[in-house]
Amino acid sequence: MDLDTVKERAGPRQFSPDDDMPRKYREAATRMIQFHANSEIMGAYLERPFIREAPSLDRKLAYSAKTQDELGHGQLLYRAAESLGIKTREQMLDELANGEGKFLNCFHYPMESWVETPMIAFFVDGAAMRRQATLKRTSWEPYAHAMDKVVFEEGFHIKHGESILKELATGSKKEQEMVQDAFELWWPRIIQFFGPTDDDSTHHDFSAEVGLKQMTNDELRQSFLNQYLPKAEKYGLEIPDTPTIEQDEDGNYRVAEDELDWEEFFQIAKNEYDPGRGQIDSRKRAHDAVEWVRDTLDEYETTTSGHAPQAAD
Amino acid sequence: MAATESLSGPNDLDERERAAVESLLYRLADDEFVIADRYTDWQVRAPTVESDIAIANIAQDELGHARLWYDLLEDFGHSEPDLIWERDPETFRHSTLCELPFAEGDWADAIVRSYFYDEAEHLRLEALEESSYPRIRDRVGKIVGEEGYHREHAENWLRRLVSGEEGRERVQEAVDELFPYALTLFEETEDDEAIDDLGLRTRTLSAMREEWIETVTGTLTEIGIDARAPETDEDGQVLTGELPDHVGRDGDHTDHWATHYDEITNTYRELGRDHAARLMEDPDDE
Repeated sequence: MDLDTVKERAGPRQFSPDDDMPRKYREAATRMIQFHANSEIMGAYLERPFIREAPSLDRKLAYSAKTQDELGHGQLLYRAAESLGIKTREQMLDELANGEGKFLNCFHYPMESWVETPMIAFFVDGAAMRRQATLKRTSWEPYAHAMDKVVFEEGFHIKHGESILKELATGSKKEQEMVQDAFELWWPRIIQFFGPTDDDSTHHDFSAEVGLKQMTNDELRQSFLNQYLPKAEKYGLEIPDTPTIEQDEDGNYRVAEDELDWEEFFQIAKNEYDPGRGQIDSRKRAHDAVEWVRDTLDEYETTTSGHAPQAAD
Repeated sequence: MAATESLSGPNDLDERERAAVESLLYRLADDEFVIADRYTDWQVRAPTVESDIAIANIAQDELGHARLWYDLLEDFGHSEPDLIWERDPETFRHSTLCELPFAEGDWADAIVRSYFYDEAEHLRLEALEESSYPRIRDRVGKIVGEEGYHREHAENWLRRLVSGEEGRERVQEAVDELFPYALTLFEETEDDEAIDDLGLRTRTLSAMREEWIETVTGTLTEIGIDARAPETDEDGQVLTGELPDHVGRDGDHTDHWATHYDEITNTYRELGRDHAARLMEDPDDE
């Protein structure tokens, strides 16, 4: 299929592995889905220590379920990316382990206290939900199909995140102050989640033309602010002064983006932000430490010529 | 063992009955809680995405079981903070097998430990299916099915790991290290005579241990791993020299447990909490 035909036919769930897609489409879709899959894994990696530190048995259960779901999303998404024929799953996982794989800005920041967990589990996941909901209509069918499950499960994660936030925001004075501090620390990062305004986004135009992306960063940010500013206020969180956010007469939010630290953002985007390197490097160590198991599995599968037991992984 | 008359609900037990039921429940709940929390060390760090999801699944099953058993202890008026968050760590009754930390990358340890634990868990649950305490009986059914999957998972992995030289060596090391700790799962406490007498369980710990040793040494030998049955005295009790320094069942734990418990309760203490959130809706069931 040539690019003009792709653009002409681009629509929700329009293309599948049965179609002969041009390389440019396959590369753009791979980049997007791989980024998404990597983010699922690195988000789970960031949150994992809080399964242990969750302050109730039910919260521990819910948190453990959440990280497991996210691994499952990663698995689904790598498959959807693999179906484009550009990279194998192993390549993508190796790239992630080696610090070449890109992932969401928010998951580069270390998280040190339970009071920070709703910043991810409510606000960042809520922001991600804005985007993911639109991706149910992306043009690469396996990606859209994965989104059905992802969006469904993310809904529960956000509800749990909201429940954690509510508990802290209605808790002791100390808890309320701690959660406000965490909010102030995370808020600019959360706003940056959607990236800079569309003019600066390098990949958007093509992705939109071929139906991979359904909404611009700016539209997504508007939608997020519409929904989450009132929620933050509902839980008594004070919206930080930076960045300045104003509503114009049509009700649209204007974010003073130049007040945000884009140098840090782009450093993160290149996996060069120091604290984030810590996350990437420690995950690499964990990944390398079980290399021997993957080698053993490969050998086992070769010697049993593919008749390895499949029942339990 | 002769069929015993059914006991009634938590409020109608006499002192001896209640002590026996509680003692049994603490061991069940603490084992599941602590080993589950240990397994979470592997989440997002297991060798493959699939094994990562599987170990997370197992950890969650065990946490869910801990929830069921702690709930039965709550029937006696204990709150979740009493049972977990504000409890003296030295009163935890889990076997020390559950609390040992994993060395980074030591997947053989995770697999051998889970194999030992789940084989024992299988026997323990079977012996509770006809328990004279109705609330225990009711819950066992929910758990048995999941434990079947855990055993299959562990055994499958064992066979794959020993197919390579490095894997075989690592499995052997893990077996040598963990076998004595696994035996502590069957160590008796002062309440076990009453537990058996009252028919709370239908098999004694020694009988279960005997079968466990036969099963695991049989499987391990078959896959080329050395494992020998421990020496016992005339009564069939395992000689002290075969056990690790810390047994767990008596509240005596390794130093790792104090550190681990500190991490588990870190948030609770940091926030100065005095209660534990019970979620109305289980996020898995919504």
